[in-house]
Amino acid sequence: MRRGELFGLLGANGAGKSTILRLIAGLVIADSGTIRVDGIDVRSAPLAVRRKVALCATDERSFYYRLSGRRNLEYFGALVGLHGQRLRERIAFVAGLVDLTGDLDRRFDAFSSGMKQRLGIARGLLGDPELLILDEPTRAVDPVHAASIRAFVRDELVGRQGKTVLLATNTLDEAWELCEQIAVLRRGRLVAIGAPDALAAGAGGPVRYAITVDRTDADLIARTRAVPGLLELEVASDGDGMQLNVRLDGEPRALTELLRAVSANGVCVSSIRPQERRPADVFADLIAEAPK
Amino acid sequence: MNSTIATAARKVSATFLRDARLMLSYRLMFLLEAFAIVASVAGLWFISKIVPASAAFGGGHVSTYFDYAVVNVAFVTLQTAALQSFESSIRNEQVFGTLEAILSTPTRVSLVVLAAGAWAFTFAFIQVAMYLAMGGLFGLHFSHINLVALAVFLILAITATVPLGVISAAAVVRFKQGSPTGFIFNRAATLLAGVLFPVSLLPAWLQVFSWALPITHALSGIRGAFRGATLGEMSYDVLWLGAATIVLMPLALLVFRAAVARARFDGTLGQY
Repeated sequence: MRRGELFGLLGANGAGKSTILRLIAGLVIADSGTIRVDGIDVRSAPLAVRRKVALCATDERSFYYRLSGRRNLEYFGALVGLHGQRLRERIAFVAGLVDLTGDLDRRFDAFSSGMKQRLGIARGLLGDPELLILDEPTRAVDPVHAASIRAFVRDELVGRQGKTVLLATNTLDEAWELCEQIAVLRRGRLVAIGAPDALAAGAGGPVRYAITVDRTDADLIARTRAVPGLLELEVASDGDGMQLNVRLDGEPRALTELLRAVSANGVCVSSIRPQERRPADVFADLIAEAPK
Repeated sequence: MNSTIATAARKVSATFLRDARLMLSYRLMFLLEAFAIVASVAGLWFISKIVPASAAFGGGHVSTYFDYAVVNVAFVTLQTAALQSFESSIRNEQVFGTLEAILSTPTRVSLVVLAAGAWAFTFAFIQVAMYLAMGGLFGLHFSHINLVALAVFLILAITATVPLGVISAAAVVRFKQGSPTGFIFNRAATLLAGVLFPVSLLPAWLQVFSWALPITHALSGIRGAFRGATLGEMSYDVLWLGAATIVLMPLALLVFRAAVARARFDGTLGQY
């Protein structure tokens, strides 16, 4: 990871994302290998690493329910070495960043899920860490608050504060939207790493096309469905005729076979447009191509 | 170095405030605790009505059963705090899910555990004060008390029993269950440490086990301080507790460190 980068860690459930985050934070010790943060070995100097790294456990169970948001931040702030006026100022600053200033004196159990997530990020920011690790920050958050958390991570944390952010997520669109680099894990192994566009371009596997024809009928649909290599077919009305949205496996002959089937019986094909690969397709391909 | 100590002290202070605020959020518990102390002291007073004063209660000086038992019951609270605070600290953090959040900060696990004792011992001293205040109302004598000896034995009582609590916490880190250490030592204290009756009443072979318990020597010294004995007169108990502290404290910290290291390798530190 480079300094100031927003780096995504992507993988299915059980792929090892959280384990890697906990390894970096020194909560788990690796059987083998080395992890360095800013040149410091996590295993030999875990406390020094933890001064540079904040693991934002957005799990709401990681707070004291019977204390207010402020009391929680005061306690965790003391654990990162803050005290007195500096602690109070820092709490006010991070609460402002995550838009919790007016709610900080409410008891934590009265917080909404979104507020709890934001308090988790505020806690991570208390020690002004260089690397912020976010473990599924939008989990259990409604779409509106999820969008605001994403904007906060991209615009405020990385854009204005200049933090380096390692984001573990199951949400593919989130990783695609936010991250400059993405690492894809499968069963604890790295199967791909790169910018989202590069991952999409580099991954083989299924491709999508939008094919416009002058008419469709039951025969055409049946012929199309019988094409070897066709994975999905969706028929939609187009202004000039009908549109077939198809998903084919990566074999070149699948498109040839499809066009042969579509254009039989005098059907006129007016356009064939390759579609941008969806994050879910790229992710599925990368996972599927991983060596066993 | 000074900065490191100051930082550690501030973390202990923050943990103290956290624990105090959490406990104060359960106000009914204080009322129940106060009631339990009143009931306990009153019970000892009624028992003392049928037990004649004896030299067995006063280390050779004639003393009432009430003076003997109420001091023991009050100060055995310190052992309970030592045995339970560290263990329940780790256990609660595991169950609440806060342990990993705490250990993600630049804070040593040993400090996290030992800091949990700050409020626990403060609360234990409040309980002791309540026992003694109630005891005073029922006729407990304070006129001969040797405050210096009492202070020394209070410190030694804590330092000699804390390692047992730390070992108990290590068991929780390793095995994820409430450790039986606290239960065993508390029950052993009731039977063997002379809390409710003098150790001299026990069979000789059981007195060996009594001798091996730190709380036996701590209570013996505290009772002595209440009747005005000097540290010189109680030097055996002072040396015993001092030696136990020197041997047990590093041993307990080693055991705890090993348990944490093992849990880190297993990836089970935050599990319960």
